[in-house]
Amino acid sequence: MNGVPELLILKLLQQEEMYGYEIVQAISSRTGAVIAVGEGVVYPVLHGLERDGALTSRRKTINGRSRIYYSVTPAGSHRLADLSESWSSLTAAIQNLLTGEPHGEVVQ
Amino acid sequence: MAKLFNELRERLLRAGVAPRHVRRYLSELADHVADLKAEEERSGRSPADAEAAALLRLGGTNELLKAMTGQRQFQAWCTRAPWAMFGLVPLGVLAAAYAFACLILWTGWRMFLPGTETPFVRVDGLAMVYFTLGRLTYYGAPILIGWGIGLLAARQRFSSLWPAAGWVLIALAGASAQVHASRQGIPGGTEHVGMGFTLGTSAQAISSGLSQALVIFALMAVPYLIWRLGQARSLSA
Repeated sequence: MNGVPELLILKLLQQEEMYGYEIVQAISSRTGAVIAVGEGVVYPVLHGLERDGALTSRRKTINGRSRIYYSVTPAGSHRLADLSESWSSLTAAIQNLLTGEPHGEVVQ
Repeated sequence: MAKLFNELRERLLRAGVAPRHVRRYLSELADHVADLKAEEERSGRSPADAEAAALLRLGGTNELLKAMTGQRQFQAWCTRAPWAMFGLVPLGVLAAAYAFACLILWTGWRMFLPGTETPFVRVDGLAMVYFTLGRLTYYGAPILIGWGIGLLAARQRFSSLWPAAGWVLIALAGASAQVHASRQGIPGGTEHVGMGFTLGTSAQAISSGLSQALVIFALMAVPYLIWRLGQARSLSA
């Protein structure tokens, strides 16, 4: 599952800016609650992505509650594209293995 | 909830996570718990049950701790390189403070005492204020740097070993520092101010220097020791 939280977070934040609680709820609802971790562990991932320059954050007050909202930077979009490509290749390879399809032909 | 957050704060700091990252992490976790609790209350739970459910969903202390300590980028510099933060940096700051004090002495000598053979004479008025600034920097710098070392150690919940090493270095540097001022090619020669570090050559001079180092060490360590005492009392209470 290495890199999966980053991938999911970047994908969600590419569509709209969100704060931590919203991100966790969105992951849960859009993955059918298949991916479930302690909700608090999302913050180190967010902070790490922000430190790497993939995310940017700003404090916003809505309905009297102050929240830190995160959004994707251009560097984050590139990282998302790279992660998506790696993940697609990986899932395709695993799918092939599970269904028994050969991944290539022996050339005589 | 306060108990969980206090325990997490202490464990994160002891694990070397930088205080500013700990502060932000805990602040966002507190917001998250408030949102979870509100959600649980909306689904019909009592406030107490809602808080318990919220904390369960947030994750256990170990899980929350591991998520943060697993990333080296959140480590404080005094954890990554304690030898630098408690040794090299304080010595560098002390060197800069001494250089500033020497600069004050040299410029003050040129401005206020142009004809004298030494700047170490009685002065009044603006000259006194100017030279006092230099003296305060010279004598106060080791103590202030020592307090800074103590503050760093306290913020990061360090054991006494590294700060003590830093205090020994600064105390020895402070006790052995000597300022020399001379006019080259009297009369009308240029003013020369320099520094040297020695505890002396005779047993009496070394003993006196070490006593001075001990006094500086004690002055530097006192605030940190008071803090440690307060911590020990609050833990035993």
